[in-house]
Amino acid sequence: MAQQKVEIDIQDKGDYRVLVPVGDLDVYTVGSLRDALGRMIEQETSRVVVDLDGVPFMDSSGLGALMGGVRRLREAGGDLAISCTREQHLKLFTITGFGEGVSIAPTVEEAAKGFRD
Amino acid sequence: MAVRLSLRWKIVGGFGLLLVLIGLLGYVTLSLFSSLRQVQRRVFNDAVPGVIAVDEIVRSYTAQSAAVRGFLVQPNQELLEQYRGEVANVDIVITESAELFTSNREIELLEQLTDFGEEFQEQVDERVVPLALEGERARAQALFSAEGAPLVLQIESFGEELRDLQNEVVLRAEEDLNARSNQARFTLVAVVIGALGAGLLLTIILPRRLSSSLSELVDAARAIGRGDFDQRIDIRSGDEVEELGDRFKEMQAALKRLQQLALQDRELEIAGAIQRNLLQRTLPATSTVKLVPTQRQANLVGGDWYDVDATGTSVTVAVGDASGKGIAAALMATVALSVLRAERGQGASVKRIIQRANEALKEATEPESFTTLVYASVDFRSGEATWLNMGHPSPFLLRPSHVEHSDGRPVGYFLEGPRNRALGWFDDPGTDETTLRLDPGDRLIFYTDGFLEAKSSEGVIFGENRFAEALVRLAPLDSDHLGEELVRDVESFAAGKLDDDLTMLVIEFLGSPPAGEAVREPDRVDRAAKLEN
Repeated sequence: MAQQKVEIDIQDKGDYRVLVPVGDLDVYTVGSLRDALGRMIEQETSRVVVDLDGVPFMDSSGLGALMGGVRRLREAGGDLAISCTREQHLKLFTITGFGEGVSIAPTVEEAAKGFRD
Repeated sequence: MAVRLSLRWKIVGGFGLLLVLIGLLGYVTLSLFSSLRQVQRRVFNDAVPGVIAVDEIVRSYTAQSAAVRGFLVQPNQELLEQYRGEVANVDIVITESAELFTSNREIELLEQLTDFGEEFQEQVDERVVPLALEGERARAQALFSAEGAPLVLQIESFGEELRDLQNEVVLRAEEDLNARSNQARFTLVAVVIGALGAGLLLTIILPRRLSSSLSELVDAARAIGRGDFDQRIDIRSGDEVEELGDRFKEMQAALKRLQQLALQDRELEIAGAIQRNLLQRTLPATSTVKLVPTQRQANLVGGDWYDVDATGTSVTVAVGDASGKGIAAALMATVALSVLRAERGQGASVKRIIQRANEALKEATEPESFTTLVYASVDFRSGEATWLNMGHPSPFLLRPSHVEHSDGRPVGYFLEGPRNRALGWFDDPGTDETTLRLDPGDRLIFYTDGFLEAKSSEGVIFGENRFAEALVRLAPLDSDHLGEELVRDVESFAAGKLDDDLTMLVIEFLGSPPAGEAVREPDRVDRAAKLEN
C-alpha cells in the first residue's frame, strides 16, 4: 500500500502555536499529528491551534487524533482549537458532535479566541 | 566522504612493508659481512704479515750481530757466510714487506731502520771484518762493541716501535669491528622489531579487526535468526567490510519492515476475526419487518459492527463504527457491543443503554478513540421507528420507486433529525430521539461512513450525493440485493481499495398485518445458512 505522508508545519504565535498539517489525515498519516501534539505537551506549549485548510481528507482516525489532543491539552491546563473552512471537515465535526466540544473558526486568530481559560 | 582504503590495499600494503623490512634485514646482514671481511683483510693481510716481517727483520739483524760476534771470537768462515746470508735475507724481507707499511710513521721508521742497517753492514764489512782478517781481533771487537752493537740495539728499538704500530692497526681493527658490530646489532634489532610489528599487524591485528567486524555481522545475523532486528552494527573499518556492514544494515531494516508488515497482517487477521465474531449468525425475522445486513471488511479493519435483537413488539437495531483501525477499533467495537447487549438483557432503557456505553467507552479507551452509532427500534406492528443518532451519519429513507409520493419529497433522502454526540469522549453525549412512521415498502437504511468516505484513485470521495443517487437508482432492487449492489458500486468507485469498512443494514417495513391477523412472532433465520445460498 502506498504510504502517504503528511507534513506538519509549526508556527509560533507567542501565546500559542499553530500546527499546519499538509496532506491527508487518515490512519496512515495520523501518527505524525499525534506525535506533533505529544511534543507540544512535552514542550509545555499547552495552547495549540490546528489549521486544517491544508488537509483535503480526514477520516475518523484523524478526527480521533484531534479530539485526543483536545483532551490531553486540557488535562495539561491548555486547549486545542481548530481553524477550518473546508465543508467536508466541518460536516464531520457537526455529525460527530465534536464541533460542540471544541473551538472551531475559519481563521487561526478567531479559533485562538475560543481557547478555554 | 572519507577516502576508503580497501581491504586489498591494506593487505598489499602490509605485505609490502614486510618485504621492505626483509630487504633491509638482508642489506644490513650483507653489509655486516662485508665489514667483517674488510676488517679481516686489514688484520690478516696487513697487520699480521707486518708484524711477522718486522720480527723477521729484527731477528735477521740480531742474527747478523751474533754471527759477527762469533766470528770475532773465533774466525770461522762459516759464521761470516751466515752473516752474509742474513744480509741478503734482510734485504729481501725489507723489499717484500715495504708495501705492508703504509702510514708515514711506519715508512719513516722503516727508512730509519734500513739506514741504520746499512750503516751497521757498512761498518761490519768495511771496518770490523777487515780489521779481524788483519789479525787485529781485539780492536775489531772493541770497534764492534762501541759502534756496531748500539746500531743493532737501535734497529731493535725501531723494530719494537714498528711492531707496536702494527699492533695498533690490529687494535683499531678490533675497535672498528666492535663499533660496526654494535651498529649492525642495533640495526638488526630495529629491523627485527619492525618486522615483528609488521608481522603482528598482518597476522594478528588485521585479521582480528577483520574478524571482529565479521563477527559483528555474524552476531547480527544470529540476532536476525532469533527475530531481533535491532542488533547494532557499527563497523568503521573504511573498507569492503564496512561496505558489507552498510548493506547488511539495509537488509536488516528491510527485514524489520517485512516483519512489521507480517505482524500488521497478523494483527489485521486477529482484528478481522474479532469483528467477524461480533456478527450475528442468526437474525430475527418477522412477517412485517425484514432486516438485511451487508458488510465488507476493509484491508485495515475499520471497527464497524451491527447488532439486531427482537423483543415482544419491536426489533432493536444498532449500527456502530469505532474510530481508528485494526485491533484497537475491533476491541472498541467489542466494548460497545458487550455493554449494549448486557444492558439490554437487563431490560435497561435506551437512554440508559447509551449512557452506560458512553461511560464504558470513555473509561476503557484512549482519548483518541470514539464510537458513533445509531440505535433504533422499530415496532413491527405499526412500523414506527425511533432512533438515537450518536454522532453517526444520518440514516437514509428509501421509498418504493413505483409509487407517487404526495409529500413532494424524492424517492430517497437523508433523515436529518436531532443528533447527539459520539460516544467515548463527552461526559454527556445527549439522548435526543427521532421518530418516523414507516409506510409499507419503506426502507430505513443505516450505514457507516465507509460508504461516504470511500476514495477513488484520484482522491475524490464517494460522498453523500453519489450515495443518495446510487440508492435511488438501485431502489427497484429488493432489499436482499440492495446492499450488495451498493457495495459493488462503491468498490468499483474506489478501484477495489477500501480503507474503511462498509456496513449497511436495510430495515424494510412490509406493512401492518390485516386487522385481526396476528403478527408472526420474531423467529431466527440462520444468516450463515442464508449467505451460503
